Amino acid sequence: MADATFLALSVITIGSAIAALEMRSLIYGSIALMGTLGGIAGFFLLLDSPFVAMFQLAVYVGSIAVLILFTVMLVKRELIFKKIEDKRRKFVGIALMLVFMIALGSIIMDSGIKSITTTEPAVDFRNIGADFLTYYWPALILMALILTGSVTGALVLARREDVEDEQRTD
Amino acid sequence: MSVIAPNFKFSEFVKSILDNVFWMLLIFVLIGIPAVMISLFYIDLPVINGELLTPFLALTWLADPSRTLPILKSFMTTDLFRIAAFPGFGFAALLAAGTIFIERKMLAKLQLRVGPFYCGKVEGILQLMGDGLKLISKEIIIPAKADKPIFWAAPVIFVATAAAFVALIPVAPGWVVADVDVGLLAVFAIIGFFPIITILSAWSSNSKFPFIGGIRALHQMVSFEIPLILSLLGVVILTGTLNLSEIVASQSNFPWIIFLPIGAIIFFITILAELERIPFDLPEAESEIVAGWLTEFSGMIYGLVQLGTYLKLYAFAGLFVVLFLGGWTGPMIWPPFPEEIITNGIVMGPITMKIPGLPVFSQEMLNGVMWFVIKTVGVIFFILLPRGVFPRIRIDMLLSLGWYKLIGLAFVNIFIALGLLYAGVLGPGGLL
Repeated sequence: MADATFLALSVITIGSAIAALEMRSLIYGSIALMGTLGGIAGFFLLLDSPFVAMFQLAVYVGSIAVLILFTVMLVKRELIFKKIEDKRRKFVGIALMLVFMIALGSIIMDSGIKSITTTEPAVDFRNIGADFLTYYWPALILMALILTGSVTGALVLARREDVEDEQRTD
Repeated sequence: MSVIAPNFKFSEFVKSILDNVFWMLLIFVLIGIPAVMISLFYIDLPVINGELLTPFLALTWLADPSRTLPILKSFMTTDLFRIAAFPGFGFAALLAAGTIFIERKMLAKLQLRVGPFYCGKVEGILQLMGDGLKLISKEIIIPAKADKPIFWAAPVIFVATAAAFVALIPVAPGWVVADVDVGLLAVFAIIGFFPIITILSAWSSNSKFPFIGGIRALHQMVSFEIPLILSLLGVVILTGTLNLSEIVASQSNFPWIIFLPIGAIIFFITILAELERIPFDLPEAESEIVAGWLTEFSGMIYGLVQLGTYLKLYAFAGLFVVLFLGGWTGPMIWPPFPEEIITNGIVMGPITMKIPGLPVFSQEMLNGVMWFVIKTVGVIFFILLPRGVFPRIRIDMLLSLGWYKLIGLAFVNIFIALGLLYAGVLGPGGLL
């Protein structure tokens, strides 16, 4: 059962990733990207970590895909994309990807991952939270600082003094 | 001679009925019975009263009214019943239909109108059924340059997402479709899908008003998701769990609205914004942009979107009840099932009918469902009420409300919860 689910999820994830690259329509491409991200959430569910899966759905499908979709809808496609049909580059790219995947796959297969057997139960998300607040607190603080810095930078960039809002009276 | 069918002959009528019966029997024997036999290999049949329930036994028992209850009870424990009927889709759709009718009637009374009146003689009670029949029989018009696959798929996905949301709401102890350990996070993940569907359907209709409405809906939903999530963190901090059933069970003594009123108010306002209801109905502002992102929908597509909207309304109201009002908890006022019917059966003069399998539902479950429905209907009433009272606000006021005021208040709520937790009043190991 798990194998069938795994296969179906893999097909969905990889297929929609290829579709996201190859689709001519940007909207359909971003929908396919959502399929990829949702498939990864499915992998997390298979790996007994629903907490991560739900965050994957909420953050990647719910927010980042929406941002991509929104941007795509507001952009005129002809202005930023020129249609370049270059068969040679495409085949070289595919070959490069295959080489890379085979190399990575062989490394992972040789690393002894196939012989790992574990009977430990799935990690509770409460333990993850406790670890974040105790052992990994510097990483948490660092992430918070980076996020704050990026938000502040975005606000500074977006700020404009020359625009007067006439309608606003409050 | 009849006027409607001048060539009517009774013998022809009987012959056509016999024809139909003959063909049905033939098709059933040739296709139906083999299909049943083949599917029986793959279905796990339930065991009732120590007997394996084959279809033939089930038919025998169904023919006897006093023996059907065990079959119905075993059907009620299946996932199909839970998803389609009781805590899931059917129950929610029933409440949603009631909501639509109550909304129209109540709004009319608030505005000194009559509202639905003629359909069904008594206060227009069949108006909803008439509207449904009209929507089903209407033609579905698709705009000429619309993106057809997305345009067709969006309403269906909308209803499916709303139904998935409904599936997470616990109605009574043990009566929930999906009792997941990270239920609240699943709610957040599902809420995140609504803006995508809205903007996709708005874009796919290739029309100006839907697109403006869709952009507004996207702004509104995405910016109000943040105070929504933050306002619920107080409850999670105090209960220490994300499972909705456990959150309800933690409120057996007092509901969380007593200690977290600010969070409840923020959550209620964000519900109004997520549901696109007045005063936040900018995405479908009918006086500005026709009907917003619903403009190009017609026929049953529109009906599906309406169904999804009201399922969402029920689910949000149910979530409010579960998180802040104590869900199914309440005083036990449902009368117990009379014992003598279980032991002696129903005595009607000389006849005594013993019905095995009674009672069908436990007293706790019925009491819980009753309290849940009462509270949910109350919350739905308060969600409907602003429609008759408030005007629509501007989008810049809406966004400043969401980003400045509600998020700030949500943090105040979180600090209240943390204060109560660290003061040792509430939470795991607290005084109360």
